[in-house]
Amino acid sequence: MMTAGISPELTSALILMQWGFLAYFICINVVYLALNFIAMFAILRHAREHGASFRVKNFASYQPPVSILVPAHNEERTILTTVRSLLRLGYPNFEIVVVNDGSTDNTLQAVVNGFGLVEFPEAYRSRLHTEPVKRIFASPHNGRVRVVDKHNGGKADALNAGINTARFPLFCVVDADCILQEDSLARVVQPFLEDASMIATGGVIRIVNGCKVQDGLLSEVDLPNKVLPLVQTVEYLRAFLFGRLGWSPINALLIISGAFGVFYKERVIAAGGYKSDLVGEDMEMVVRLHNRMREEKRPYKIAFVPDPICWTEVPSDLRSFYNQRVRWQQGLAESLFGNWRLMFRRNGGMVGWVAYPFMLLFECLGPLVEVFGYAAVIVLGLVGMLSVQAFFAFLFAAVGLGILLSVNAMLLEEISFHLYPRPSQQLKLFLVAVLENFGYRQMTSLFRVIGMVRWLVTLRRRSSWGHVRRSADWQDHEPQVAASGPAAP
Amino acid sequence: MSFLMQADAQIVFAFWVGVCVSVASLLMLSAVLVLRQIAQRRERNHLRAAAFWRQVLSAATQAAPASVPALPWRDMAGFVDVWNELHDAPERADSPGMRAVAERVGLAPKLERMLRRSSFHDKVMAIIAMGYLRSQTSFEQLAGLIDDASPIISISAARALMRIDAVRAVQQVVPQIVARHDWVDGGIAQMLDEAGPRVVEKELGAAALRANDDVAPRLVRFLAAVSPEEAAPVIGKILAEPHDEHLVSTCLQVMQNPADLDKARALLAHPRWHVRMHAAAAIGRLGTADDAPALAPLLADAQWWVRYRTAQALQQLFGSDDARLQQLRDSHQDRFARDILTQVMAERALEEST
Repeated sequence: MMTAGISPELTSALILMQWGFLAYFICINVVYLALNFIAMFAILRHAREHGASFRVKNFASYQPPVSILVPAHNEERTILTTVRSLLRLGYPNFEIVVVNDGSTDNTLQAVVNGFGLVEFPEAYRSRLHTEPVKRIFASPHNGRVRVVDKHNGGKADALNAGINTARFPLFCVVDADCILQEDSLARVVQPFLEDASMIATGGVIRIVNGCKVQDGLLSEVDLPNKVLPLVQTVEYLRAFLFGRLGWSPINALLIISGAFGVFYKERVIAAGGYKSDLVGEDMEMVVRLHNRMREEKRPYKIAFVPDPICWTEVPSDLRSFYNQRVRWQQGLAESLFGNWRLMFRRNGGMVGWVAYPFMLLFECLGPLVEVFGYAAVIVLGLVGMLSVQAFFAFLFAAVGLGILLSVNAMLLEEISFHLYPRPSQQLKLFLVAVLENFGYRQMTSLFRVIGMVRWLVTLRRRSSWGHVRRSADWQDHEPQVAASGPAAP
Repeated sequence: MSFLMQADAQIVFAFWVGVCVSVASLLMLSAVLVLRQIAQRRERNHLRAAAFWRQVLSAATQAAPASVPALPWRDMAGFVDVWNELHDAPERADSPGMRAVAERVGLAPKLERMLRRSSFHDKVMAIIAMGYLRSQTSFEQLAGLIDDASPIISISAARALMRIDAVRAVQQVVPQIVARHDWVDGGIAQMLDEAGPRVVEKELGAAALRANDDVAPRLVRFLAAVSPEEAAPVIGKILAEPHDEHLVSTCLQVMQNPADLDKARALLAHPRWHVRMHAAAAIGRLGTADDAPALAPLLADAQWWVRYRTAQALQQLFGSDDARLQQLRDSHQDRFARDILTQVMAERALEEST
């Protein structure tokens, strides 16, 4: 940094700031590399022990029944495909509870007609408080499907109503726009069979943009053609294959995606269910479960299953992307600050002593540091105090580390699941891993800072549906039952 | 590069970090591409071998082959996959033709070699294949794996041993079922089922009575699934003594002997709701309409599941006589009792309408 012409105090402050940035930069990358290291072992172990093709057959008779909860608000376009795909799951015993959370479109009608449902006098259990339930529908033709029709209360409220309706001890949350694979449920339930202290598991979410779906199941995996979803493909690989897998073996996983996760119902009810005044109710639930179990000094495990098991459409337009990221950041801040007692708790384990502080310092406050760094570079550049050499050297290192983390995620993917088999796909992903550092990363950080600001401004308000505009062009053109059409058998 | 000589230490550090990670990224990308090629080649080879040996082995299930081609080492994984797959289909299991192929290609020593040298997956597949081969010479080698640290290897070895010689293996396998909490219940159940009740019931029954209350529920469940007759005295004995409520619940769930009904009736007032629920369900399954008055108060139980199972039990006891259920509903003062009876009747109506 050029220091000519400025006061010694300011120079000292700037030098201190530089060291601060450097220390932050080293810390975050060291932790990321450590997570990579743990994830590498975890994924190799998982692939080694779960890759054996004979395994699944062994468990069928002992797989516990699962209630699949599908909260839906204005999901008319995708809800039938989702429920049909769920019905094709290769799992011995499950029920599907669609919770229509006061949709203003034809979501309810689509499901009622699609499955020939009839109103049913169910003795509803109000174990968790929710907005009033209007009606419950059941199917004379398909005993697995039920629909709860309730007043609008947000996703968390819909999930609580689903938990009240669920018959089985495990419940699985599936977003109404997700596609599962035939063995998805079996894979994500597997940790419950292997460990009695398991209370929640989450699966990998992959991007369906660019893929082909037939009969509600994924038929062909490919990369998206548009740039924004393509960049998110690399980001998801990184986020799931080491961002989450790295924390799981040390029982410090703080996030289970709201799109696909399985929970032990009684533990969630004991924790008070989902909080309907938060936007990040999914992450908050996991952090609260950690906090609660440690408070009660109960043995527990929360695990992550790395197999690619749930496919979702990511935003392909900037507006939806912005909304999603702002919402995620709000959710992160809510979850962490709402459960601050978990940090440095005496019996906090790795989650209280490592994962929570890391998430707070680097994932939650990190975007502020990053955007502050960008602003400092611009201001210093404008006033002529920026060392070009230093700027390019640090940019080189930061971008290089970013690429390294992405390529490492690609390597983890290759040694485990190899979903993208063509070399051209690998090269495309590599190119994106390079390019995302120029623009996308900065834009995301900025959105996340806006999310933090919004969190501060709108503390405590009722959760709303964070909808993303979806093209749903990956759906096959199977005959959709008209929302107002006759009941299908 | 001269700036490296004059620049600050931080800048030099950042520069070299950038160089190192860029080189590492390129190396990793190369690794990804190379691994892809290797995986594709391996997959092609595996598919070719599997297709070829599927043809040979499928033909052998119809008639013993006159000649059998040599089995090269590179085809072993494909061969073993097909061998196990065909044995999984019960109609093809243990065909003399397949055994003849195994003998002519020298499968037993090859599997032993595979077990010693291969990857985890291939090792497990070799263990399973040895079980299907039923060669007594493999027994000792497999017995050494029954207490392997990996639950997959140990349970696969146990299943293979039970296939080779169940009478001899059961002495070693049942103590492992008691000791190994990491053995998945589905795998154990399948293994016991394959061995048959005669071989396992005595050993399992004795183990269930010896086991502590933490382990006993699993054993009772396995025993009841394999041999309800042998399970009945064990269940009767457990219910006659004070035991952990989880064990009591398990016994109620698998109870099949009407002689034990008195014990179930006594448990309708148990302080733990899941015991009351399973007691009600057991009475619904094995009782008579005379049990209805004892069940009726449970329709107003604080727990939804107790009310639900009780309503279902009453429906079972009354059979097709819906009028009695309706009468019971109309006479009940408790709203929750009426609601649950309405639901259970509606469920039956829904089922009957299909």
